[in-house]
Parts: sequence; structure tokens; C-alpha cells
Amino acid sequence: MMMRKTLVYMIIVTGVLVLAAAGTAGAAVFYLRAERFTVAMPDTIVVAMWGFTRDTDGNFATTEGAPTSPGPPLEVPAGDATLIIHLKNNLPVPISLVIPGQIAAMTPQFSTDSQGRRRVQSFTQETAPGVQGTYTWDNFKPGTFLYQSGTHPAVQVQMGLYGAVIKDTAQFQAYGVASTVYNWQGILIFSEVDPLIHDAVDLGDYGPNKSITSTINYAPKYFLYNGIPDMALMNINAASIRVGDKILVRLLNAGIETRVPVVNGVYFKPIGDDGNELPYQLEQYSIRLTAGKTMDVMVEPETPGVISVYDRRGFTSINSAGAGQILLTEGAPPGGGGGGGCFISTLLE
Amino acid sequence: MAAAGGVLVLLLLASVHPLQAAIPGLTGPQFSLIARQGYITNPDGGSVYTWGYAEENGLMQYPGPTLIVDQNAVVTVTLKNELPQPAGNVSIVFPGHLVTAAGGVLGAMTQEAPPDGVTAVTYTFTATHPGTYTYYSGTRTDLQVEMGLVGAIIVRPVGFDHMNPKAYNHEASMYHYEHLFLLTEMDPRIHQAVESGIYNVDTTDYFPVYWFINGRSAPDTMLAAGVPWMPHQPYNAMVHAHPGEKVLLRLIGGGRDLHPFHHHGNNSLTIARDGRLLESAPNAGPDLAVSDFTITVIPGGTVDAIFTWTGEKLGWDVYGHQPSDPLEPGEYEPDHGKPFPVVLPEQQEVTFGGQWSGSPFLGGVEALPPGEGGLNPNGGYFFMWHSHNEKEMTNFDVFPGGMMTHIVIEPPGTPIMH
Repeated sequence: MMMRKTLVYMIIVTGVLVLAAAGTAGAAVFYLRAERFTVAMPDTIVVAMWGFTRDTDGNFATTEGAPTSPGPPLEVPAGDATLIIHLKNNLPVPISLVIPGQIAAMTPQFSTDSQGRRRVQSFTQETAPGVQGTYTWDNFKPGTFLYQSGTHPAVQVQMGLYGAVIKDTAQFQAYGVASTVYNWQGILIFSEVDPLIHDAVDLGDYGPNKSITSTINYAPKYFLYNGIPDMALMNINAASIRVGDKILVRLLNAGIETRVPVVNGVYFKPIGDDGNELPYQLEQYSIRLTAGKTMDVMVEPETPGVISVYDRRGFTSINSAGAGQILLTEGAPPGGGGGGGCFISTLLE
Repeated sequence: MAAAGGVLVLLLLASVHPLQAAIPGLTGPQFSLIARQGYITNPDGGSVYTWGYAEENGLMQYPGPTLIVDQNAVVTVTLKNELPQPAGNVSIVFPGHLVTAAGGVLGAMTQEAPPDGVTAVTYTFTATHPGTYTYYSGTRTDLQVEMGLVGAIIVRPVGFDHMNPKAYNHEASMYHYEHLFLLTEMDPRIHQAVESGIYNVDTTDYFPVYWFINGRSAPDTMLAAGVPWMPHQPYNAMVHAHPGEKVLLRLIGGGRDLHPFHHHGNNSLTIARDGRLLESAPNAGPDLAVSDFTITVIPGGTVDAIFTWTGEKLGWDVYGHQPSDPLEPGEYEPDHGKPFPVVLPEQQEVTFGGQWSGSPFLGGVEALPPGEGGLNPNGGYFFMWHSHNEKEMTNFDVFPGGMMTHIVIEPPGTPIMH
């Protein structure tokens, strides 16, 4: 049975992404647990995943919530300069947290391989199994970013240890330019799963002298959109969006394959690339989303109707219903009346 | 490049046939397309079971017919489906256009035509902006695009004059010749499965071994268009230009993979993507154009780039002129009259490629040993245009092949049709 994630990935303007815990003034503070869970894929195969759980009471002794991959979306409020993540590692191996694109002091962890060579195994300080660690980013830059494990990233990121972290320049304004003001926003994270590697890692059968020694034969069979392996399930009615509204869609690729989101019926207007404000607002209907890339695009519906967003690279999980798309379907404004709206639909809680 | 006997003949045909400089296609703006099945041929002697959009009374073709319309035209495309019944529905999506669809059955992305050969779906849109666009199936896109259901759309700007053509409503998009480069690839295992009646194909281990420009693999890319022995692959990709003239490359990512399109000879200027000029403000013209010698073509995306060649900064006069000789049209003046910088080896000390005219100069044709050369009757300069994923220049592991063609810079005065 498909486990339905209750992620707040579709943000309505009146709400906020995961609220930071009360804490240091000028700092957004989050508590995350790294844990194992499973997902049933469209062909009924159950795959082990690693993900993050939002620990809502800031007390790691109590294990409320459930892990997800991608992990909970985090927002650093526009006025906060600092992001602090307290991480509890409930996985059997050391992990860490990095955010590509954010400047931070890093303390890499090294190991020695069987030939006596020094190898980097973590980009920054590790959190050992069962232990709690703290990761801090000062002068957090506005934009859309991926937080992910910085330990053996070839293995750990594809196991599911990733999520989105965003910061706006001002409330409902992504970047400095006035054209980056938005009414609605949504997050879409692309990723994929190679079940053979997941099984081997889950069983402790990955690594030197094990059944699978590296990810070099990475061959994904399932393709995830916000963690869902079947985009047909993403057609959910959300609140109505009107013609003339501005929808900010944050595209992130946590996988290894390049993905190409294509939109039918309207053009994307890219405003940000890897968290960098783009100087000119061009129009494209296709986006080259390479591994690790984040792109912020505005969608401004001009007529009511259906807008499809899908991966033109056609990555489709076995037995999934569609070739991957999110339907922006027409809706009626509250209270009825003429003139429809378009709204972006994705996971909603 | 050394050419085997058969290849030599084919390339010879390409360089003497009536040269076409405008992209062939249907002009509509009403079109009737039918999804049909057939076989395409590969230069390694293989043939692949393929699906393609056909003109109403035409054969399945790969890629589908290029639809050429004028800006602001109301375009209607009617689609029927003559694929075998278990193949299921087909459809068409038109990224970059706001489409209304009627008829057929509602699918995940748009209205679909069931495989009864009768039910028609009508797609309607207004071609509001000039440029290069694409169309492909919106049903099981991962399978149906692989099977061949893809094509190109060209929208001519308002006031288009074929004697002084422009791609957009700006002088900077002016060109002399336009060429389509619709890039695709194929994994024949998928086609074999579908041919044998298996439609629920696992496309996750997609592994292409054939690569195409406009539906043909090299060296067929360099054959004339419309050769009768390739009835399902009517388009070619052979380019000719004189020095100083502008070639408009209309690049389309028609498959699932990205391709680095690498055009030897010079950088090109990318002026537009996805049917929109790279401009900092409306009507500014392509002031954000990018100069590159490799263009990344992404699936579903389109690129318009302008290429020209003058021999600029080679450092020698490509015509073998004396300083007192008059300039040729399109000549790079600062190199005029400069001597050829090396002494060429004698003929008995070299081996020859089919494109060597016997002379290093543009327009020069000199005596060659019997049986040598022959592919360059006008003494032009050949530059290979190809995917720089080198493996993609093969036909099922056989080189040369795949996503490769040439441009010939012909000496001034060589007839090239506008």
C-alpha cells in the first residue's frame, strides 16, 4: 500500500513552511532526526529509505512524527541571519549535514583506506549513530537550497538524506528584484531510487568486500517527485489560484540523473539559479535541472485551464500510472462566480 | 575522413544534389496527422520498428512532418491513431503554446486519439510568437517519444520574406540558410519489445545505440532529402554555405537524452531558446546571446543559433590570393594576401580523405591520384557537426555514424538554393 506522505510542500501564502523552534534571536532553529523507513513502490516492492523527521518538541527523547524523504522543508525567515539544525542520528552509520551554496566553516572527517591512503569520508563534522550534533550556517543567503548528508554522499544522499531549505529576501519576495514577489509557492524535488543499492545498504551489505562495493552501477528503477514514485498521485486539488497570480515554483534535483521539467500551456520565468538571483527574466518552457541544481521559476497563468508540468526525460517508475506530471487544474474562486482560476496542485496537508 | 566505397558514393550524392536552404515541411495552418507504424533503416543495415506521425495520406515518417506556420496563425492539428489496438492511445502536446484540445478521450495530459483509425482529436492554438518549437506525444511520453512520435514546428515572424529571412522580429535574427537539427536516439530493445506485442516496457534501463539528426544516422544524414530508398526518413541534415553567410541552426531535443551539439569551424551565436529571443528587455534584440562552439540541447527544448564562417584569423589567405587581387564576398580582409604558412608534403607522402580536393585553398581543385578524393567537387571546406558525446557518433558500436553531419563552406559562386 502506498504510504501517503503528509508533507507541507504546497505552501499557501497564509501559512509558513516548517516553523523554526523558539530560540536564539535572529536564528532559525530546527530539530531533525535521521531515521530509517520504507516506501512501497508502484510495483509493490517495498524499499528501505533513509530520511529526516521533524522533531516538533525539540526533545530527541520523544519520537513523535515519521521520517520522510525528502525531509521536511525548512524555511529561514527573511529577517534571520543564522540557521541552526540540531541533528539526532538514529541510523547505524555516521552522518552529517551540508547545504551546497551556503558558506560555512567545514571540518572534514578523514579515514584511511586498505591501501593506507587518506580519504575524505565527510565534508564536515560527523554525527555518530545514536548521538546528537549541531550544524550552523551564519549569514544564510536567500534562495532555494538542498540540505543533505555530507558523509559518503554518493551513498547517503541517494538513500534519501536530503530536503529543501529556503529563505526569502522579504516576506513573499524571493530575491531583491520586485519581479520576484509571489502569491503562491511550491516546491518540487526530483530524485530516484536504485532498489538494489538500498537493499544492500539497509542490510549492511554495502562497502568494501561486500555484495555491492560502490554506486558505480547505480541504475535507478523508481523516480520520485517530492518522494512520491508516481506523479499521477500528485493531481490534488488545492486552493484556487487566479489568472494574474504569480506562483513561485522551486525546483530541486536531489538525484543523480539530469531532469528536464517542461511546462505545457505557459512559460517558466526563471528568477534564481542555485540560489543566485538571475539578472534578467527570460522565458523558457524547459529547464535543465542537473544533479544538485536548484532553480526558482515563476509561473504566471494567463488563462484558466490545465497546466502540466512533467519531466521530459521521461523517467517513469515501473508500473506507475503516468510519465510524471503535476496538473495545475482549473478551480472556481471561493464563493463561486465567473472567471476561473488556475492552481498548482501537489502534496497538500 | 577516410570513406569506404559505399560511403563515398553517398557523400558524393550529397554534394552535387540540388541544395536546399529552407527547411522542408507542411505549411498548414490546418494539419491532419495520423500516428502510423513502419520501419526505419539504419546505416549498419539494421531496421527498427517505429511509430511516427504521418501526413494524412502519407507514410509513417520519422521525425513527423515539420509544421511551418506564420505568426498569429490559428493552427489546428487533427490527429488520428492507426497504431495496433493494444498500443493504446496517442496524443500531441505542443510546449510553448497554449492549446485547446477537443475530441477523443481525456488522457493524463491532453485529449488522446484511441487506436481505431477513425476518432479524431483536434488541437488548436494560436502561434503567437515566432521561433522553433516541437511537438510530441503526451501519452506515455517515455515510450511513445522513444518509438518516434516527435516532430518540429517553425513559426515564421510577421512579414516573413523568404528572400531576406529572419527567425524573429529583429534584424539580428537574419539568416541566409536555415537547417533543422532534431536530435533523437533509440534503444532497439524497446522497439523489438513493442514490435512483438509487449507494450508495458520497462524504460528505466534505457540504453540507446542509435542516434539521429532529423531521423537519420550518419552517413545518411548527408544524403539528399527525400531519397526514395528511405521513404520513412525524408529529412536530411547536410549544410552548405558561402563564406560570410549566416546559417540558422534550429536545434531541438527530440529524445530523452541531452546532447552537446558541437559544430566545428567556428563559434555560433545562440540567440534564442524555447522560441524566445535571449533579450534583456522586449524588443532589445538578442543582447543576451551566447557565443559557443558546443550547444547543450535538452529534451523538449529548442535552441536557435547563428553560424557563419569567413576563415577569420586563420592567418593566411584561404583563396590563395596575392595582395593585389580583389576581395571575395565574405572574405576576412585582414588575412587578405597572406601566404600559405607551410609547405605541403608531396602527394606520394600522404594518404587522402574523400573530402580533400587536392588544394588547400577555397575553390581550389587540383589533380589527385586516381580514385582519391571525389567528395569535394567545388573545393569547399568540410567541417564536421556532431554530438560531442563521442559514443553518439556510432551506429550500434560502428564508427562513423550516429549524430553527425557536415557543413561545407563552398567557394563564392557555387549555387546554393535559397
